[in-house]
Amino acid sequence: MRFVEIYILKINISVINTHGVQMPKHIVSGLKYLTAVELIRDGLSQKEVAKILEMDRSTVSHYLNGRNLSWNSIEVAEIITKFCPRDFLTLTYALLDNSEKTRIIVKTCSKKEFQANIEESCIGCGLCADTCLMNAIVLDDLKAHIDSNWCNGCLMCRDVCPTNSIKILEVENGC
Amino acid sequence: MELKVDQELCLGCGNCVVSCPVNASISPEAYGGHGPKTEDVIMMVENGVVKLFNEDKCKRCGTCPLFCPTDAIYLE
Amino acid sequence: MVANTKEVKENDICVQRISPEEKRELNFKDDICIGCGICEKICPVEAIDLGDIGAIERNEIDESKISVDEEKCVLCGMCSSACPVDALELKLDDKSIKEMDEYPQLIKSAEIDDETCIYCKACETACPREAITIARILPDRSKLVTGEIEIDKDTCINCGVCEEMCPADAIEMEHHLPTSSDPTISSDINVNKDKCVYCLICKKSCPVDAIKAVCRSCSYGEYDLKPEDSEIEGSSFIDDDACVNCGWCEEICPVDAAKVEKSYAGELDVDLEKCNACGACIDICPCNVLSFPESTKPGEIVEKLKKDENFCIYCGACENVCPVEAIDVKRTDVKFTPTKSKSWKKQLESLKT
Repeated sequence: MRFVEIYILKINISVINTHGVQMPKHIVSGLKYLTAVELIRDGLSQKEVAKILEMDRSTVSHYLNGRNLSWNSIEVAEIITKFCPRDFLTLTYALLDNSEKTRIIVKTCSKKEFQANIEESCIGCGLCADTCLMNAIVLDDLKAHIDSNWCNGCLMCRDVCPTNSIKILEVENGC
Repeated sequence: MELKVDQELCLGCGNCVVSCPVNASISPEAYGGHGPKTEDVIMMVENGVVKLFNEDKCKRCGTCPLFCPTDAIYLE
Repeated sequence: MVANTKEVKENDICVQRISPEEKRELNFKDDICIGCGICEKICPVEAIDLGDIGAIERNEIDESKISVDEEKCVLCGMCSSACPVDALELKLDDKSIKEMDEYPQLIKSAEIDDETCIYCKACETACPREAITIARILPDRSKLVTGEIEIDKDTCINCGVCEEMCPADAIEMEHHLPTSSDPTISSDINVNKDKCVYCLICKKSCPVDAIKAVCRSCSYGEYDLKPEDSEIEGSSFIDDDACVNCGWCEEICPVDAAKVEKSYAGELDVDLEKCNACGACIDICPCNVLSFPESTKPGEIVEKLKKDENFCIYCGACENVCPVEAIDVKRTDVKFTPTKSKSWKKQLESLKT
């Protein structure tokens, strides 16, 4: 629960008012549903999906067949995935309070791609790595390295960088 | 941190006035024991006690307290 | 945000940042700090401020020589790498960056070669930081001289002349207070052969010729003295915390056993016109480079300040403390181990003036 209190307030007003009251666990179910669908589409088996999302295999199966889940939750979850990357990430982290599952859900449901570059002015202070909720940043030889595959474009690293060395660009993929 | 004076303790000996390197820069006759000729200095003895004229010029080198016999001039 | 915490204990400072991935901890040890302000200069986020080191060094105020703003500090470790005396140390997960190859390290050392050292203690005396300890075991005096001595106690009148004359305190008399029944000053006399050097002073000064003594070293030369008996054994120790690599030990060592490598090179200029001889620089200098010259004859007017630049480490503490800007320390070189990081290299190079 590091970053997120303000975001929850904001989203409570904008999303939840228009879609009726949603318990956080329902939104989480919606997010897991969307992730499961994407992962199955990527060729993973139901067993693998269940393991990644730490769910029963039967629940995954139910989800994929549209059972035990209100469509309303899915709609809300879909709206959340379309938020700006920082809101999507921080809200998801607040809902799950679990770093590893947050990473998987955000990476799987993000439609945007980002190219991250660290300039030579980086001093290797590690503040970005400590800040990154996607664990996309590692330090090597006194320089930060961002794994663009995992970067969701939240720009929190850029904001904390004391030397302004992080440049993150959204990759235009034609859609 | 600032230079301060306790006039109750001061004997008016002028050790601080002549030992202060900044005083000596502003009024060279202070270097070597004479009284400064201008009120631009940091401190001077007036009516038998030391008075701070320009404490903002103090660089807090700690020389004057070193020579003060009664701890009347100090940094705080 | 991952926030820093700061703890100040006495005048030592500890700044920490703990995240699930890593614990970073910067430690500042005030008693090691020499007030050079290099940390303030190299800090990329201006988190460090040098205090009023003149007043602090002269015990006029009790506070840390530097202050660290934990809101600004990013725990990058540049201050730790550039500190010439290791008063600052950054640890990543409890491991010092001074032990990590990827971090540039200042190249500096001070060593005494025990093979060459003659344990004369010149360096121990000269070291301005009292960082050197020379432990030595001297040879047995009795093995360096040889002879014979005997006191004929029947002839001896216990007058005490030999005891007073003996330069080696080798004659030991059993003193007692004279009484009416025994009005002498001593009841017995013996020679401590571990101390006796067979100089024969006792024999020559005895008023009753009670001492027989002969020195074999003098009459027969040195043939029966073993050279190994005259060897001095010992060991040297340099306290790394206190050592500032000033080079006094290297300069004063008569047998070139001490070797010092300095990390900074440069020039030290004193403007004697501006100097008003307050002595703040003399007090702060960790290397005894600066001093007030002493007059050699009555009435001689000496310079206000004397410098011995040989021992300067170009730390710049004197320049920082001078209240009248009479001192200029130029750094022309900074020696550090190679690093792949261009930003670190650039920042360390920026210490050159």
